[in-house]
Amino acid sequence: MDLREILQTGVGGLSIGAVYALVALGFSIVYRTIGLVNFGHGDVLMVGAFLMVTFFVNSHLAFPLALVIAVALTATMGFGFERVLRPLERKDLDLMLIGTIGFGIALEGAAVLIWGSEGQAMPTPINDTPINLAGVTVRSYDVLVLVLAAAVVVGLYLFLERAKAGTAMQAAAMDHEAATAMGIDVARCNGRAFAIGAGIAAVAGALVGPRLYVSAGMGAAVGVKGFAAAILGGFGNIPGAIVGGLALGLIEAYASGSRGSYSDVITFVVFTAVIMLRPSGLLGERTVSRP
Amino acid sequence: MSEKRVYRWTATAVVLLVVSSLVAACGRESGGGGASSSEGKKTLRVALIGPQSGQLASLGDWDYKGVTLAANEINDKGGAGGLKIEITRMDDQGDPTTGGNLARKAVSQKFDVVFGSSSSTISLAMLPILTGAKIPQVTSGQADALTQQKSQYIFLDSPTSTTYDATLAEYVVGKLGKKKIAMITNNGAYGAGEHDAFLAQLKKRGVKPVADKVIPPDQKEMSGPLSQIRTAKPDALFIGAEEVQSGLIAKQARSLGIDATIVEGAPAGTPQYRETAGDEAAEGTIVSSPYLSNDLNEQTRAFAAAYKEAYGETAELHGAKAYDGLQLVAKAVASLDGKVSGEAIAQAMHDISYDGLLGHFDYNDVGVGLSQTHIGVIKNGEVEAVEDAG
Repeated sequence: MDLREILQTGVGGLSIGAVYALVALGFSIVYRTIGLVNFGHGDVLMVGAFLMVTFFVNSHLAFPLALVIAVALTATMGFGFERVLRPLERKDLDLMLIGTIGFGIALEGAAVLIWGSEGQAMPTPINDTPINLAGVTVRSYDVLVLVLAAAVVVGLYLFLERAKAGTAMQAAAMDHEAATAMGIDVARCNGRAFAIGAGIAAVAGALVGPRLYVSAGMGAAVGVKGFAAAILGGFGNIPGAIVGGLALGLIEAYASGSRGSYSDVITFVVFTAVIMLRPSGLLGERTVSRP
Repeated sequence: MSEKRVYRWTATAVVLLVVSSLVAACGRESGGGGASSSEGKKTLRVALIGPQSGQLASLGDWDYKGVTLAANEINDKGGAGGLKIEITRMDDQGDPTTGGNLARKAVSQKFDVVFGSSSSTISLAMLPILTGAKIPQVTSGQADALTQQKSQYIFLDSPTSTTYDATLAEYVVGKLGKKKIAMITNNGAYGAGEHDAFLAQLKKRGVKPVADKVIPPDQKEMSGPLSQIRTAKPDALFIGAEEVQSGLIAKQARSLGIDATIVEGAPAGTPQYRETAGDEAAEGTIVSSPYLSNDLNEQTRAFAAAYKEAYGETAELHGAKAYDGLQLVAKAVASLDGKVSGEAIAQAMHDISYDGLLGHFDYNDVGVGLSQTHIGVIKNGEVEAVEDAG
């Protein structure tokens, strides 16, 4: 592999890595706030992708408008799901976890009923002409993916650090009893975390749809990679999710470029090795301990 | 998180996984009646095992439509040798383990004939079970591995990969004079079969591929291997993968600036390929297929009209293959004078010949009945036959 090939492969890896980073962010934002792994997260992404198919492909709405609608609907769904789980939160987190698995299965079933079992191809929203940068070809759509993913990350950062609701979520994540004592509505924070997680998943679904193929089963594949990315970076750690996602995308791209048929094997062997050396992920875990 | 809790989570997850895989293994079933007595035979019970859900669902759907159309026509004319054909549809979800379990189910429920599956990998998983039980298996798979099992009970309803790729290589290398050929194939049974068959055909013509990339069948993002193919500057790109993955490869290759002519077997001739790739990326793809259009002759036109009337869709290769497959079974059964058994049907399938939609079927010992494909090219979103393909 010469230098140009290395760079070329890296560019492709970064694009899919950005999507993994978004999925990992969704996992992390829910985990750090509630202490819960939302195993239905991949399927939320799938619903987001299918909503994009509905509004962007079938209803011919403009991509940005379709994206806003898909994100809003998916976020509302996430918020509603937290309301369903809320009675369990005070009782048993394990039950909530099972609830998320059930939620994922239900979403998959619903998607088959609504959109069919065959899935649908999604065209790229912009003219996907290659851009030549010193011999390295960059797909225009990859640039869009990276820009939108970066915008989501910046937006999330600003929300968590600057907005009152975001700070409240941070406080609830650190110590929910103290936060409650300070007058913060922890339940509402949890709802927001689910809604934000679902919204980010919808963005990831919308971005990955044209690259992959939108089908009821897509959540499992992308969800597992996003989950692995979150663990790789440090579960619950926001910058970690980004680093983990990009790292996983790059590992996968190089593995698939050099040893194609073994790409998944290599990717997860590397993942396991990193986790064995650094059990709390590359950037370390911010644990949430709840009674 | 306490250690005890971690154990509880893990235990629950494991139980859930086991339960869900058991449920999945049972598969989904629809249509047709339950087990019926084989004595005083009035029906010919056909199990149609194929993907009804997941990424390969289109293939399963086309197979179902083709087989059902043929069954209705045969039943309207009094059945196969007087036996009414009864189709039971089972969903293998595109999964070889589920396919194997459904094959066992078909054996225990004493089906006369099994159609399945639409994928070579799943068909291979089903083959030893059905052959062991002496049940004829008609498959839409085309991997040479299916014929290498040397079973007397497997019948391909299309030519093998070797036939597809011999025609393709002859046209691409011989006629178009392309020598810088890159290959990208998956390592499922179909993709691996295509890889070996096309490579052998290139070797025969003294051509060594400039790149030879193998990917897993479920990979969707191929920029890694495609980037390296691009560096090799090929003038033709051979794809050996199922419909959706082929479409994604074409789409991603074009977006990376690979302008080589895309050449492929049957998957590139399907609407699924064109929809996934997008019209622009699919344009100019060269296809090797035994069934390029519905407008070949009187028989294909009648089939296409009946298909359109029944389903409101334009017929394509897979529906035609499945239609031919059931017509062959019916013809074999009709030649038996009521002495129907798996062994007898299989023997009769080897003995008869049949002029179907795809051409002249005459099965050899290992289950190959057709040995010809034609060359087409995608123009304005439709496959057009290439007249001077030679």
